[in-house]
Amino acid sequence: MREADTLRPPQLMEVSADIISTVEFNHTGELLATGDKGGRVVIFQREPESKNAPHSQGEYDVYSTFQSHEPEFDYLKSLEIEEKINKIKWLPQQNAAHSLLSTNDKTIKLWKITERDKRPEGYNLKDEEGKLKDLSTVTSLQVPVLKPMDLMVEVSPRRIFANGHTYHINSISVNSDCETYMSADDLRINLWHLAITDRSFNIVDIKPANMEDLTEVITASEFHPHHCNLFVYSSSKGSLRLCDMRAAALCDKHSKLFEEPEDPSNRSFFSEIISSVSDVKFSHSGRYMLTRDYLTVKVWDLNMEARPIETYQVHDYLRSKLCSLYENDCIFDKFECAWNGSDSVIMTGAYNNFFRMFDRNTKRDVTLEASRESSKPRAVLKPRRVCVGGKRRRDDISVDSLDFTKKILHTAWHPAENIIAIAATNNLYIFQDKVNSDMH
Amino acid sequence: MEFKLEAHRIVSISLGKIYNSRVQRGGIKLHKNLLVSLVLRSARQVYLSDPCPGLYLAGPAGIPAPPPQQQPGEPAAGPPAGWGEPPPPAARASWPETEPQPERPSVSHAPRVGDEVPVTTVTGVGDVLQGGEADATEAAWSRVERPRQAAAREAEGPAGGWGVFPEGSLAARRPCFCPLGGEDPPGTPATTPRTACCCAPRPAEDEPPAPPAVCPRKRGAAGVGGGPAGCPAPGSTPLKKPRRNLEQPPSGGEDDDAEEMETGNVANLISIFGSSFSGLLRKSPGGGREEEEGEESGPEAAEPGQICCDKPVLRDMNPWSTAIVAF
Repeated sequence: MREADTLRPPQLMEVSADIISTVEFNHTGELLATGDKGGRVVIFQREPESKNAPHSQGEYDVYSTFQSHEPEFDYLKSLEIEEKINKIKWLPQQNAAHSLLSTNDKTIKLWKITERDKRPEGYNLKDEEGKLKDLSTVTSLQVPVLKPMDLMVEVSPRRIFANGHTYHINSISVNSDCETYMSADDLRINLWHLAITDRSFNIVDIKPANMEDLTEVITASEFHPHHCNLFVYSSSKGSLRLCDMRAAALCDKHSKLFEEPEDPSNRSFFSEIISSVSDVKFSHSGRYMLTRDYLTVKVWDLNMEARPIETYQVHDYLRSKLCSLYENDCIFDKFECAWNGSDSVIMTGAYNNFFRMFDRNTKRDVTLEASRESSKPRAVLKPRRVCVGGKRRRDDISVDSLDFTKKILHTAWHPAENIIAIAATNNLYIFQDKVNSDMH
Repeated sequence: MEFKLEAHRIVSISLGKIYNSRVQRGGIKLHKNLLVSLVLRSARQVYLSDPCPGLYLAGPAGIPAPPPQQQPGEPAAGPPAGWGEPPPPAARASWPETEPQPERPSVSHAPRVGDEVPVTTVTGVGDVLQGGEADATEAAWSRVERPRQAAAREAEGPAGGWGVFPEGSLAARRPCFCPLGGEDPPGTPATTPRTACCCAPRPAEDEPPAPPAVCPRKRGAAGVGGGPAGCPAPGSTPLKKPRRNLEQPPSGGEDDDAEEMETGNVANLISIFGSSFSGLLRKSPGGGREEEEGEESGPEAAEPGQICCDKPVLRDMNPWSTAIVAF
């Protein structure tokens, strides 16, 4: 991975007044979708690179904005259902239209995004405004023609998958068969067909017969990128379960269980909380999985269940501050993680608007900050350092001066290029590697 | 001792979180509440295993806290330094001696996270203990006990004293939770199961070791409070009493809740937990039966405004029903 100072000054987009709750590139990287707490989805499109405007090479502009979910009220349980978008997943593009799934706590929606850049003109019976013409004025016939118009992006809800979940949906994942997808809540995972909204199949159910026996919940899940029968789900106890849908209709029994024994020397009141996996992502190759818990990111090999093959400390200096972080609820923050296109670098967010990248090959890591200062023209993104006592360099930040309200929970990496999208509260930063924008 | 305070603090913070989760938008989050309950359980175990004279009786068999160094599934070697080891049982038995004092140095630099207040407080207590153990322990004990009595006084009727019982007497009552509890329909007067319960004599046996200051109230309340402790049923009348008991702390702000709870209601809640904490510790056929009843009434039926669905947190909180449902 190149040094951070080759990164182009980022684009800083103020997406909305609302906090961004999810970020996702589509399969080509041309489109970038964000969801926020207010239920809105904003889609950015990458401008084609042109020699005429070299400064705006490959920048992202707003493509479409729409209200995906509204707050609802469940009258039966007297509960408000938040409109916050928990996850967005793009469907592979099959025609000129783009489709994505967006979900809040209870309902998943399939949106179709289409472009209209031509409109018919020259009707015989209607005038330009659409009013019927007086027939006596029509002296000749013409064939209506399509004339170009300003690009209009239309978004319409094509499917609404409702009433499938009793608990809060935490993840959705589209199957590689492009026909089905799964949605996971705290205790169950359902399999849906993209064309069928009135039923879904339950494929995982970890709800105990007696809820008093509840000891773990599902925290994230994902389909394997190539094998349409395989999926993984993570638990609040820090374990991963790989399930094969060919084995049984109900995949309560895992095919593989990935679990690392706990280090007894690190035991504390909060050991269980910090071992809860907040995100799991298959590598693009399908060979590895990436998990994020509160203090580390881990790379797992699908062929080895006993322990991860790599563990990276994200912010181990917080280990002594767990009690304070418990008090201010920060310990419950769910950070996401991401692979780069070649699976050689992994990225995750932290506090103080820092995000971290780990190069798996060179074992080098870097801490960067998403801030307004770094978005000035010609600014280079310089690596940051958190000092934990001992020698302090000039620009180091001390642990106690970290701002825990500025957290980067959601990050995304372009599927092919070195372009990353970082959501910092209600701002979206897009960083591009200027010098080497190809996959390495 | 500082572990006890730390655990006490964590318990009160956790309870504050659970309390506030009731009113947050989107319903109660199962995952977060499960994690909070795990922390609560851990803190409770430390709280119970770290001895304070008079607060806990010399262990009858029913004490739910396992030997302090043992936790289910943990290596038998005992918790490492980071966990905050409570003093060994020998020291506990000989609390008035200066035996525990040598533990202090090892404890004071055990990594206590975010512990500005507890550390200083604890060293103070430790010094006091070193000086005049009896006085200090009595002072500590009465400090905890007074709010307890105050709270108990304010509560009315049978279940009012429910929260008052120290661990030992409640532990004795625990067996009656199982067979009888489920059979009684909700709303059964609390006295009924108790007299029919095989465990009825036991609380009387456990009375004597309790500190005299607490005894009279405990006995009086024990006469009728045993039932609900053993047989919680959501919505039943006895449960309403602790609501008043525990609602004493003003509800303004989470910090206020935590502060208020420090003063001794937490001790009440700890003892409640001891009798019927979440199924993380034990399986309860009585609880299971209630669960079935709840399930039959419709999997999605729930107390309005309480829980997400399917009574997840309610079931999880069923053993805390007095504390949490009351809220």
